Formats: sequence, C-alpha cells, structure tokens
Amino acid sequence: MLAARFAEVVLPHLGDALSLARWLTGNTADAEDVVQEACLKAHAGIAGFAGGNARAWLLTIVRNASYTWMARNRPRSVVAVGDLADLDDVSPPPDSDADSPEAALIAKADSAAVEAAIARLPQAFRETVVLRDINGLSYREIATMLGVPQGTVMSRLARARGLLMTELGGRHEPA
Amino acid sequence: MSPHENRPHEDGLPQDPQDMKLMIHALVDGELDAAAALAVERRMAADPELAAEHARLLALRGVVASLPRAAVSDDFLARIAAIAEVKDTGEGDVTQPSAITAEAQQSAQQQQGNVIAMRPRAARWFNSFDWRQMAASIALTAVLASGATQWLTTADNGSESFAVAVANGHRRSLLAATPVDIVSSDRHTVKPWLDARIGVSPAAPDMAKDGYALLGGRVEVIGDRPMPALVYRHHEHLITLVAAPRQNEAKSVPVADDLSAGGFLLVHWTDDAFSYWAISDAERPALDDFVTRFRAAVLANPAAGSPG
Repeated sequence: MLAARFAEVVLPHLGDALSLARWLTGNTADAEDVVQEACLKAHAGIAGFAGGNARAWLLTIVRNASYTWMARNRPRSVVAVGDLADLDDVSPPPDSDADSPEAALIAKADSAAVEAAIARLPQAFRETVVLRDINGLSYREIATMLGVPQGTVMSRLARARGLLMTELGGRHEPA
Repeated sequence: MSPHENRPHEDGLPQDPQDMKLMIHALVDGELDAAAALAVERRMAADPELAAEHARLLALRGVVASLPRAAVSDDFLARIAAIAEVKDTGEGDVTQPSAITAEAQQSAQQQQGNVIAMRPRAARWFNSFDWRQMAASIALTAVLASGATQWLTTADNGSESFAVAVANGHRRSLLAATPVDIVSSDRHTVKPWLDARIGVSPAAPDMAKDGYALLGGRVEVIGDRPMPALVYRHHEHLITLVAAPRQNEAKSVPVADDLSAGGFLLVHWTDDAFSYWAISDAERPALDDFVTRFRAAVLANPAAGSPG
C-alpha cells in the first residue's frame, strides 16, 4: 500500500531532506515548507519509484521543490541555470603555501564559521558540496540529480571546497 | 633531468596539477578503486603539496561532518506522515464513519470485512497498511520508556502524568498513517536508526519465535524528550515498544507494575539500564505475557541494547 511505502521510502530520509532544503533556501522554517511540498510530490509519485537509493530519489524531489519554492518566493535570489557554465570555467584560486598549519586551522573552525562559509558559496557550488558532504551522495548520484557530467561535479566540488578551505584556513580572498 | 624524465608519472593519473587535485578529492570521497587509490597515495607521498591538500580536505571534511544536522521534530514528522494518511483515505474514504455511503461502505468492507462498523478507526488504519488479517484485531502497544527523569523522579504523581502521556502517544499511533517511522524486522537496522536520531538504542530482540515479530521503530516524544519506540506484532495484535536509558535517580520498579490510563492497560517496570512502560487495549494476560517474554529476551541477550 502507498502509505506503507511512503513510510518506508520517504520518512527515514526527512532529516537529509531538511538539511538539503535548509542549505538551499537558507533557513529552517522555509526548509520545512519546502520538504512538505516535496513530500506531497513524493507521495503522488511514489508509484514511480523503482527502488534503488530512496534518499537520492527524495533529495532530487527536494532540490526541485527548493528551486520552485525560491523562484516563487524569492525570485531575485535564484541563480539562473544558464549562468552555471560560467562558474564551471572559473579557474581555481592560486594555491599559496600549502602547509599543515592551515589544515589545523580548518580543523579548529567552529560550526558557525563553517555554516557561514557554506552559506556564502555560490548556489551551484553550495548544493554540490551539501549533497556530497552533508547528504553523503556519490559523485554519480549527484551528477544524475544535477544533470551534469561527473567531471563537472568533481570540479564544482573542488572549487567549493577550495573556497571553504581558503576561508576557514585563515586566508582571505581579495574583496 | 632530461625532458624524457620530465614526465615521471606513468600511473594513469592526470598529469595536470588541477586534475590531479580532483583525484585527491575523489580519494577523500571514497570514489576511487583500490588501484587508483594506491596510485594517488604514491603521488601524495612524493608531492608535499598534494599531501597538504589531502590534509586540508580531511580537516574540512571533519568540520563539515560535525555540523549540527537538521532535526526532524515530532510535529513535522506528524505533518509529513499525515500526507499519506490524508491521501489514502481520499482514495477509499473511511475516515468519517458517519459520512460513509452505503456504496463506500460496501467497497470498504470488501477490503476489511465487517469490522468497519465496529472499529472504524482501527479499520482505517489497517487499511492503510493492507493488513487485512489484522482487521479484527486489537492493537496491543507496549511502550517502554525511561530517561524521563522529570517524570519518574516525582513519585506517583509523575508516573501518572507519564502514563497519560504514554497513553496519548499510543492513541495517536493508532490514528496515524503508520505506527512506525522505520520499517524493519532486523534489530541491526532499527537500533542504528534510533541511535542516529536520538542517541539511544534499546534492546530490540526479534521475538518472532515467541509470536512477537519486530515490525520496526519510531520516536515518541513524552514531555519534551524524544524516546525510542519499537513496534511488534503478535498474531493479529500490534505491539509498540519505546525505550530510553534509565537515570540513576529514577525510581526503581523491579517488579512489573500494572496500571491503566486513558482507557488503556499499562505495565511499568525497570531494569539496570532502562525504565519501561507497556500499554495495550488488549486483555491483561496478553500484555503480561509479552512483558514476561520481552524481559526474558533482554536478560538472555543484554548486549542487544545499550543506553548510549
């Protein structure tokens, strides 16, 4: 029955769904609204879920719901998909002295600083790093969800992490 | 160094430094097979810059992994679970027994037998799970709860409040779309699920051989504290177990104590690690038998559960 399937497929992943929605929309209250909308869609489409990774399936719906929600409620903040190609072409920042003290600094960063740094990432980088490091999806799952090649996922991830490491490692990007 | 030796890497990895960095990320992310991982590790050993990137990545991964996760509140979970409930009842509407038309009743009875007129709520709930064999059943819920020192330490008055809260949770679970948040007959699935959400993993023996099969688990919120719940099935009856670690100052109840609240029968007892509550709308002997067997199963295999 649908209710049992819904309980099995959707409910265990609500935490992940809320995390992703929170990072995409920027706040917890909006995340709950978005996830609720996503779950309505998930319930309507659950017959089409063919098995496999339920979390990735639900998160794909949550991601779409997040952008739909933001387009409706905060039209000015949405990054147009067409802009992403430009982001992918940006060359990585020059690497300064690579020493272990920087790794130590990163490791000591407090949660507020890490969250602020993630929140400041460009949308395409943020969603990639959140899907990988917070939701734990594989490169392949992320590539499928975003509809981009795995190489793009890898370069976005490297760029996103590069920006985070730069910020948390104590080096300040030129304003 | 001759130009020929200027390309020392014949390991199949990218020559481009930026592409090589992607391989470090892939290594950290566990995306490389053993051969590629070995090759990348060799490169790192020979290249301090790659090794430093690796160290930074591990540090970053550590701090990101330790970020607080979004909490699924009981209220929110109820809202989401209600989606399935509302939609399902929309298809074969048995939510409002008084509003059931003869036609609808007929179709519902085809699914559930004649019980619907007697126990419309239970019938609707069973319908949502398609457990037709349960249509004539009485739900039996045993709620094993502890860790609620604010209830248990305040003597009988607190116990009564707690019992009422347990009864309310039990009643709500009967009305909900599902009595469980995680469906599994395997305690190795249920325990980590509970542990990950509320940091408590009670013993969850599958007592199928005794006639009590583990159906899954959920989180029950009593007072302002989340508590783990396990759901069992006994023939046509349902059993839900909720457990949390027992605090030192909690009142000790080594002998099962029979109670009642909200029209349900309860059994309350404690052991070294947990304080337990059992609730049921079945007969007292069925509940007592369940409690006896559960306590025996926990005693026989104490490692099956841990308070932490």
